[in-house]
Amino acid sequence: MRWAFLVALVGGLLLLALYPMVATGYGIQFMLQLFMWVALAQSWNLVSGLTGYVSFGHVAFFGTGAYAGAILVTTHGWHWGPASLAAGVAAVILALIIGYPCLRLKGPYFAIAMLGLNEVMRVLVSYFEGLTGGGSGLSLPTLHASGQIYYAMGLAAIAVTAAAYLIITSRFGLRLMTIREDEIAAEAMGIDTARYKLYAFLLSAFVPGVVGGLFARDQGYIEPISVFALLTTITMIVMALFGGKGTIWGPVLGAVTLFVFQELVWARFLYLHQILFGAIIVFVVLLMPRGILGVLQERYRLPRTL
Amino acid sequence: MRDGHILEIRDVTKRFGGVTAVNRCSLALAPGKIYGLIGPNGSGKTTLFNCITGLTPRDEGEVRYKGERIDGLKPHRVARRGIGRTFQIIRVFPELTALENLLVVTREPFEAARRRAQELLRFVTLDRLQSEYAGNLSYGQQKLLEFIRVLMTDPELILLDEPAAGVNRTLLNELLVAITRLRDQGKTILIVEHDMKVVMGLCETVFVLDYGEKIAEGPPGVIQADERVIEAYFGR
Repeated sequence: MRWAFLVALVGGLLLLALYPMVATGYGIQFMLQLFMWVALAQSWNLVSGLTGYVSFGHVAFFGTGAYAGAILVTTHGWHWGPASLAAGVAAVILALIIGYPCLRLKGPYFAIAMLGLNEVMRVLVSYFEGLTGGGSGLSLPTLHASGQIYYAMGLAAIAVTAAAYLIITSRFGLRLMTIREDEIAAEAMGIDTARYKLYAFLLSAFVPGVVGGLFARDQGYIEPISVFALLTTITMIVMALFGGKGTIWGPVLGAVTLFVFQELVWARFLYLHQILFGAIIVFVVLLMPRGILGVLQERYRLPRTL
Repeated sequence: MRDGHILEIRDVTKRFGGVTAVNRCSLALAPGKIYGLIGPNGSGKTTLFNCITGLTPRDEGEVRYKGERIDGLKPHRVARRGIGRTFQIIRVFPELTALENLLVVTREPFEAARRRAQELLRFVTLDRLQSEYAGNLSYGQQKLLEFIRVLMTDPELILLDEPAAGVNRTLLNELLVAITRLRDQGKTILIVEHDMKVVMGLCETVFVLDYGEKIAEGPPGVIQADERVIEAYFGR
């Protein structure tokens, strides 16, 4: 069983690695965005799925990364590779500044504070026109690198999923889960919950920053409302919830299912897709709050490492 | 260790708004003994536990553990000094398995931790349920799991908040034997308990709280006959 799974995993990755050789431009874009959503949903899972601190502002790290990457590329002439890594670091620095005060808040208060962070970032970016182009956005020099960005985006998705695997199968991951389960008991048992929460938060901010930098390079143009969009946060949350939060493969499953579904329906019905997306949110929250894998785990007694 | 006390509480006061939950309370525990803490509902027993463990910082007074001040420390710091506790309302980690509940609280190497965890699970006859989510266990089983989770951190001072509530008679006797055995290993234990049989049979010294004040202290037999205690429980 374990071998079959590993073989399937390696085979799948190999196919994905070879795919650009036969793919159309649309196919590359489709997969590239799929990787992006896997990376975002999994990043959200690292902090919110494990510690239970629901972040409604994770797109702030994505947007910060997008702007950091774009600025490095346009005004400093950096290559998009290192610029995207620097974008990840920028997102982590933002997480450090905001996480220290905000992670003291509990439940809905933390969620609202994170929502506010995203609004503040969007306004700040719009305000500093000299650096960011303000509301009219920022254009990057023309470059056809989608093929390479495909691999970079794929690596980001793999890296954060591998990180999720290492964390969830370790005692570090169990300690993060005690925060979700019962923070007071965790403290009374000698677990430094404040420190663990901050670690998870920093970890979960890095990849969205990198992905933001890659996204900016791939799109060639970014503006405040497109990279600090609340809908992006909601989408990554719904993907993680749909697949199963707090598991390794749940966010991957959720991102793939919902993104494919969204693209197929989107192509045909422009407005219906939003209604359906809303219906899925209601369905998941009401009928299977633990997601697809959560339901399967309960029924077939599977480990959360699935 | 000043005066040979492992825990020394001096004039500790805790107020919630207009309510003084603990009022200038002082008590001292000598190592290697079992102490009881009793009193009517709302007399401040759990609040006093919370002041010791740092969950609700005390407003006034001192808490010393092995002679060092621990009031003002964060709960996890207090825990790492060697004070473990259980809760009146069960606080296991429901979506972690029974075994994981134990593994997660120690810092010792994984294999050693697992061996000790499984030993403890056998000891309270929960070994068959080690892979079950803690939230699926019965009330009594969760109570026992919480008890052995404290032991997993190897504390020197153990605070038990109503350990016997909801545990059936057979298991209760084993629990009492376990507590006595911990004492014999040199650990100090402070128990909040309503079951007088447990308190009288186990404790060498009993403290009685009423409206946040310590109104009596002494061996169980003497306490039972104390007029102020009878008055606190049954009224004048």
